Amino acid sequence: MKTTRNEKAKLSLVLSRVLAYGFIVFLCFLCLFCFILLVLMASKSNSQLQGAFSLRWGGNFLTNLKNAWNDASINIPRGMVNSFIVAMTSAVITTYFSALTAYGVHVYNFKGKNFVFTFIMAIMVIPSQVSAVGFIQLAYKFGLTNKLWLLIVPGIAAPVVFFYMKQYLESVLPLDMVEAARMDGSNEFRIFNEIVLPIMKPAVAVQMIFSFVSSWNNFFMPALLLTKEQYKTVPIMIAQLRSADYSKFDMGKVFMFILLAILPVMIVYMFLSRFIIKGVTSGSVKG
Amino acid sequence: MKKFLCALLALIMVLSLAACGSGSNEPASTAEPASTAEPASTEESSEGKVFHIYAWNEEFKGFFEKYYTVPEGIEVVWTIVPNEGTQYQDALDLALLNQESASDDDKVDMFLAEADYILKYTNSEYTQDIKALGVTNFSNTYKYTVEAASDANGVVKGVSFQCCPAGMIYRRSIALDVLGTDDPAEVQAAVADWAKYNEVAEKVHAKGYLMTASYAEYYRVFSNNTSSPWVDASGNVQIDPAIQAWMDQAEKFVNNGYTLTSGVWDAETTEQAAKDGKAFCFFGPAWYYNFCMGPAFGEDAVKAGTDSVGDWGLCEGPQAFFWGGTWLLAATGSDNPTMLADVMDTFINDEEVCTNLIKNEAQFTNNQAVNNKFAADPEFGNPYLGGQNDTAIFAEGAKNIKFQNQTIYDQGCNEGLQNAFAEYLKGAVSKDEAMSNFYKALKEKYPAITVPEA
Amino acid sequence: MKKAIKHRKSVSYTKWAYIFIAPFFISYTVFTLVPQFLTIYNSFFENYRNGLQQIGPNFVGLQNYVQLLTPDKTGTVDFLKYFGNAMAMWIVGAVPQFIIALLLAVLFTSARLNLKGQGIAKTIIYMPNLIMASAFSMLIFALFSNVGPINKLLVASGVIDQAFDFLSFKIPVRTIIAFMNFIMWFGNTTIVLMAGIMGIDQSLFESANMDGANAIHVFFDITLPLLMPILTYAMITSLIGGIQMFDVPQVITNGKGTPNMTSQTVIMMLNNYLSTSKNYGMAGALSVMLFIITGILSFLVFRTLSKQYKK
Repeated sequence: MKTTRNEKAKLSLVLSRVLAYGFIVFLCFLCLFCFILLVLMASKSNSQLQGAFSLRWGGNFLTNLKNAWNDASINIPRGMVNSFIVAMTSAVITTYFSALTAYGVHVYNFKGKNFVFTFIMAIMVIPSQVSAVGFIQLAYKFGLTNKLWLLIVPGIAAPVVFFYMKQYLESVLPLDMVEAARMDGSNEFRIFNEIVLPIMKPAVAVQMIFSFVSSWNNFFMPALLLTKEQYKTVPIMIAQLRSADYSKFDMGKVFMFILLAILPVMIVYMFLSRFIIKGVTSGSVKG
Repeated sequence: MKKFLCALLALIMVLSLAACGSGSNEPASTAEPASTAEPASTEESSEGKVFHIYAWNEEFKGFFEKYYTVPEGIEVVWTIVPNEGTQYQDALDLALLNQESASDDDKVDMFLAEADYILKYTNSEYTQDIKALGVTNFSNTYKYTVEAASDANGVVKGVSFQCCPAGMIYRRSIALDVLGTDDPAEVQAAVADWAKYNEVAEKVHAKGYLMTASYAEYYRVFSNNTSSPWVDASGNVQIDPAIQAWMDQAEKFVNNGYTLTSGVWDAETTEQAAKDGKAFCFFGPAWYYNFCMGPAFGEDAVKAGTDSVGDWGLCEGPQAFFWGGTWLLAATGSDNPTMLADVMDTFINDEEVCTNLIKNEAQFTNNQAVNNKFAADPEFGNPYLGGQNDTAIFAEGAKNIKFQNQTIYDQGCNEGLQNAFAEYLKGAVSKDEAMSNFYKALKEKYPAITVPEA
Repeated sequence: MKKAIKHRKSVSYTKWAYIFIAPFFISYTVFTLVPQFLTIYNSFFENYRNGLQQIGPNFVGLQNYVQLLTPDKTGTVDFLKYFGNAMAMWIVGAVPQFIIALLLAVLFTSARLNLKGQGIAKTIIYMPNLIMASAFSMLIFALFSNVGPINKLLVASGVIDQAFDFLSFKIPVRTIIAFMNFIMWFGNTTIVLMAGIMGIDQSLFESANMDGANAIHVFFDITLPLLMPILTYAMITSLIGGIQMFDVPQVITNGKGTPNMTSQTVIMMLNNYLSTSKNYGMAGALSVMLFIITGILSFLVFRTLSKQYKK
C-alpha cells in the first residue's frame, strides 16, 4: 500500500517535471525562434528571399554584411558609432552621478534629507514623455538639435538608478568605514571615489549595463532631435528602413541591418547574462 | 567645494565636447567616401570648403558624382533623408531655420525639392535669386520648370535637372495577347480616353492579367489634371472632381480585380513588372524605369534572368500628365555661390552632361535642344522599351505640362489620401472612415488648414 | 574639545551632502522640471509651424484641451480612442505575460521539482527584453509582410492561396503587437516575480508541505498573497509602459496606426504633433492629459513602493 503511494508520488513528480521542462523549452524556443530566423534570413540573397521559403542557410551572409556595412544611404557603421558614444557616456554619467547622489543621501544627515528621498521616489515613475514637449521646444529654440550630448547629459538625474544605488549602499556600506577614512584625513570626495565607489562596483556594473542597453535602444527622443544623417543613431536608421524609399531594397541587406542593430547588445549579453539577471533580481523591490 | 565644482564642470565639458567632437568630425569621411574630393590645403578662396546638399534619395547624387566635376578644394557633403511622411521636409526646414546660426561648413548650399512642396521654399526667404548668382540662360529649359521654381513675383530660385512628362508604360506581350498589337500608336488609340481605357481593362482582366499593379498607379494622372488646389485660399481642404474620379475608378478597379491594393512603391506592385509579372501597364515619367520597375530592369533581375527588358512600350495614355521632377534650389546664406550657380547651369545647359543623362541614364532632361536631338534621331532607342524612342514621346508630352494649383500642403494631401483610401480598398474601413482618417491625419500635420467636419 | 570638533565637522559634512546631490537636482531641473512646466505652459497657447512660418504663440486658454476632447461626428474622441488602443494591445500581451511569468517563477523556485538548467532558461527568456524594439518590429514586419517569408510559407504549404495582408487587419496587427510585447517582457517579469517568491519566508512553505497541502493550495494560500505587493508593482509599471507604447506600433505600421487608426497610440499622436508642425500647443495639452493619467497610476506605484521600502 505504502509503496504504491510512493510510486504514485514519484510518477507524478516525473510527470510534472516532464511537463515543466516541456513548457520551459517551448518558451525558450519561442524566444529564440525569431532570432534564429533573422540570422537565417540575413544569410540569403534577395532572389533567394523572393523565391520559396526555406530554412536552409543561404550562404550569402558575408555578401550581405559587406553590402549593409557599405550601404550609401543607411550608414550603419556611423549609426553604431553614434549609438555607442551616446550609450557608453550615458552609462558612465548615469551610474556615477546616481551613485554620488545616493551616497549623499545615504551617508549624511542634512536638512531636507527625507524630502529629497521622497521627492526622488515620487519623480521616479513620471514618464519621460511628459517633459518631451518642453524639452524638444527648448532644444529647437537654442539650436541644440543634432547634438549628441543633449541625449547624454540629462542622464545625470536618473531616479530609478538612484533608488537602486541607495538600496545597495544600505546593504553593503558600513558607516564605520567612512568614519575611519575621515580619521585618516581623506576629504569627502576622495572617500567616495576611492573607497565607496570600489565597494559599489557590482551595482555600478549592473546599472551601467542597463543604462547602456536602454540608451542603445532609445528611439522616441533621438528620432525627434537627430535629423542629420551623420548624427543618427541605430534605431532611427532601422525605422527608416520602413520607409517606401527603401522598399526596393535588397531584403537580405535589410535583415542584415536588423541583425547589426541588435548584435552588440546580444554579444554583451552572452558574456554577462548571469550578472544581468542577478541585477534584475536584486533590482526588483524586496518583499 | 570649488575644486569639486570645477572638476564636475570640466568633466561635463570634456564629455560633451567628446560627444559632439566625435559626432561632427568624421561623418564626411566615413559616410561618403565616394563624394569627397581631396581638400586642397594650399588654395585660398573666399568661398566655403564644404558644399552641403540636402536630398531625399540617391538619384541626383549618382548623376552629380558621375557627371559633375567638383572644383578643387571643395568637399561635397550630402544629407539624405527619406521623403515619405514629409520627413525630408521636416529635416530640411530645421536646417534652413538654423541656417543663420550654423557654421559656414554646416550651412545648406543647395537643396532638392519636389513639385509637391517646392512652393513652400520658393515663396520663402530661405531661397535666393539664382539670376543674381549668374544663372541666366534658360533658353533651353521647359517653361513650367522655371515657373515652378519662381516665387510669386517671378524671381527664379532654382532649376530642375529633369523634365517629367509621363506616359503609359505598357507590356508588349500582354498588348499583343489582348489587343493583337504592340504598336505604340495603336495601343494609344485603344486607351485614348478613360472610357476606352476601362474597356481595355475589362479585356485584360478577362485574359487573366492585371490592368495595373497598384490602385494608385495612375493617381498622378488625375491629380495632375485638377481644376482646383488641395487647399483653397481661406485654408479649406477640398476634394477636386478629378480626385473624386480617381477614387471612383480605383474602387471599381479593385472591386473588379483589375488591380491590386498595394501602393505604387510596394514590392508586390513592382514585382508585377518582372518576367512573370501580370501587370499590363504602369504610369510614369522617365525616372520611373529606375525607381519603380527594378524587378523589370534592375541589374539584379537581369543577372537572375527574371527581368523583362525589351517587353515594354510607351504611349501617352488616356490623359497627359507629369509626375515629380527634382528641382535644385539655392539656399539663402550659401557660402559657395559660384559653385552653386555652376552646378545649376551645368545640369540645364551643359550639352555633354545632358546627353549623358539621356544616353546612359534613360533620363529626360530639362534641355530642349538635347532632348529634341534624341527625339529626332531614328537610331536612338531605349533598350528597356525594345528600342522604342521614348524621348520622342516625352518631348511631345512636355509641351502640355502646366504647373498649376499647387499648395505647400500637397505632399501630405497626396500621400495621406492614397494611404487612407487604400485602407478602404482593402476592406479595413468604410469610405467615410477612410476620409475621416485622412482629414484627421492632415489636421495633425497641418494645424493651419480646415478640414471638413473635424 | 572632542564635542566641538565633531560639531564643526558635521557642519562641513552637511555641505558635502548638498554638493553631492547638486548635480542630480541641477540636471533634473534643467532637463526635466523646466521642460515639464514649459509643456504645461504650452498647452494654453496656439503655437505651431505652418510650412516655414511660425504661428503664435497666442494665448487660447483651454481651447487645445477642448479640441483634444471634442468628439468627431461619429462620437469618437481620438485621444481616448488611441488611449484605448494602447490599453487593448497592452492587456492582450499582459495577461499571458503575467500568467506565464507567475507559472515560470513558481516552477523555477519549486524545491519539489528542483529543475535543472535554470540558468540557461532564464538567460534565454530574458534575452528579448534587451532587443531593440524598433529592430524587433522591423524584423516582424519583414517576416509578416505580403512578400515576406511567413506568407511565402503559408502559400507554399497550401494553407492560403494568396498572400494574406496581416498588417491591414485590426486583429492580426493588434495580436502581433501584443505578442511582441509579451515576448519582450515575460522573461523580465518572471525574474522579478522569482525574486519576490524567494523573498518569502521558506519556513512557510515547509510547514505547508508538512501539513500535506498540495501545490495549488500552497500557491493560492501562501505564494500569491505574499507576492501581491510585488505583483501589483510589476503590473502597474507594466501598465504605465503600456500607456507609453510607441516603438513597436510606430515601426510596424510605419507611424500610420493602421488599420483605421486601431493601432495608433497616444505617444504616436504626440510624435505626429511634434514632428512636422511642431505643434507645441496641442502636444502640450496631450502631454498634460497623459501626465494626469500616469500621475494617478504613479501615485499607486509610489504608495506600494514606499510601503515596501518602510518594511
